[in-house]
Amino acid sequence: MIDKTNYTELTNNGYHFVGYSTSIPDGEMQELTVGKEVVLIARIDGNLYAVDGICSHAYAELVDGELDEHCLYCPLHFACFDVRNGEVLEGPATEPLPVFDVTEENGEIWVKV
Amino acid sequence: MRESKPIIIIGAGLSGLHAAETLRHEGFDGRIILIDREKEYPYDRPPLSKELMMGTMSSSEIYLRTISEYERLKIELRLGLNIDEINTENKTLIADDGTIIHWGKILLATGTKLRELNIPGNNLEGIHYLKTLADAKSVRQSLDDVNQIVIIGAGFIGAELASSFNKLGKEVTIVEKSETPLAHIFGDEVGKYFFNLHTSHGVNVITGDSVERFEGTDRVERVVTRDGKNISCQAVIVGIGVKPNTELLQEKISCENGYIVNEFGETSLPDVYAAGDCASWPYQGKHIRVEHWDHAMNHGKNVAINMVQNQTAPYHKVPYFWSDQYGYRFQYFGYTTLPKPTVWRGDVQNHRFSCFYINNEGIIEAALIVNQPKEALPVRRLIAEQKSVDMEQLANPQSSLKKVHT
Repeated sequence: MIDKTNYTELTNNGYHFVGYSTSIPDGEMQELTVGKEVVLIARIDGNLYAVDGICSHAYAELVDGELDEHCLYCPLHFACFDVRNGEVLEGPATEPLPVFDVTEENGEIWVKV
Repeated sequence: MRESKPIIIIGAGLSGLHAAETLRHEGFDGRIILIDREKEYPYDRPPLSKELMMGTMSSSEIYLRTISEYERLKIELRLGLNIDEINTENKTLIADDGTIIHWGKILLATGTKLRELNIPGNNLEGIHYLKTLADAKSVRQSLDDVNQIVIIGAGFIGAELASSFNKLGKEVTIVEKSETPLAHIFGDEVGKYFFNLHTSHGVNVITGDSVERFEGTDRVERVVTRDGKNISCQAVIVGIGVKPNTELLQEKISCENGYIVNEFGETSLPDVYAAGDCASWPYQGKHIRVEHWDHAMNHGKNVAINMVQNQTAPYHKVPYFWSDQYGYRFQYFGYTTLPKPTVWRGDVQNHRFSCFYINNEGIIEAALIVNQPKEALPVRRLIAEQKSVDMEQLANPQSSLKKVHT
């Protein structure tokens, strides 16, 4: 049974429905546009994480890079970020990626931007 | 415990800056002195021909680090300082302001200098080169009065500038000495692709011709070519390449197309290292010199590790560069000598393809990737691994690059 009240609460808290849980299997990532934000969502060990989809160093879409466990590599200058918290693991990037709250409800993915 | 002897880095470009930071991160506790003859704080050069020229980035955004970052890491910047002499017997360095600095080790990260055209009229106003932030600002500031621009040289700087000026609505003509632009790097077929890329955007490209003289009263008004073409213009930018800065210690260090270094960045002189564009380093059995951003950064970092932890980090990175032109993104990995058989993958018409350069053992030596960023990391891996590949699989965009090994 889908709990309608929970949806209202999510919406009231600034969450947006972005897709279904089955669309992001473990170890994979997907880019979504939520409002004006490009968001990258990845699943590691069953948990979803959401970070800014554009590299903090120079313009490149991170979804075109590679995800190796929690390490997210940019396809342009090969900076590496921890997709769980946005931290820089390897340069040339110096700024972390903004992180977004993400939650799953009844097989649906909701992101707060 | 005695403090380590100072390390001096000559050249505060990308290589020198990353080396300085790496020395600290590796635990070097002595003085790090980063010297440059330019007065600017270390800045990023790729935007000079693109974002900065188009005005989508301001010059204040171009600096690589904040001033407090140098303070935090105790990196002593000596900007606007020229070096008169490096004495290797008593390990001192003498600068043109009379400063004498004692050193324990030196990293030469001196980069390159422009090749210049020495032809009649080259002192006229409006003839520019592009190497420094000051050069870029000077071109940018003069653009309002310019409608027609001639670019000499269809290399990467020339091509990116053509794209930027085209975007700004200027009438652009490129004059290129060879028959096909970039053919010496990519071969004729890909060279023709780049020729068409320019012309399809309305940029004139004259190939197989060279500039004989510039004409004008005070400012340049015309470019006259060897074949007798007269091209009206209000500005000229010369982009005919660079050569390594190897004046310092040249008589003491083995040089051939740059300071020759081993895989640890050591020159032939003890305690003197070289990194980045000025260094010729061993890659897959031959010495090569690479003039690209990615190499400058990685080589600087890598050599710095060896300066702290002697001979611990051999350098083998696959050379890489990228270029943005007319809204398209080009990425090139590896190193090859031409001609080589090529394998094409993808859709050339729609500017989404890759071109692979294959050696006689069926191994990918290099690859150009056009608007397919997803292929970048797999291709870099394929080139680093040096395993032979199945050409049919490689040519088929439906087969994964992770499964093309024979």
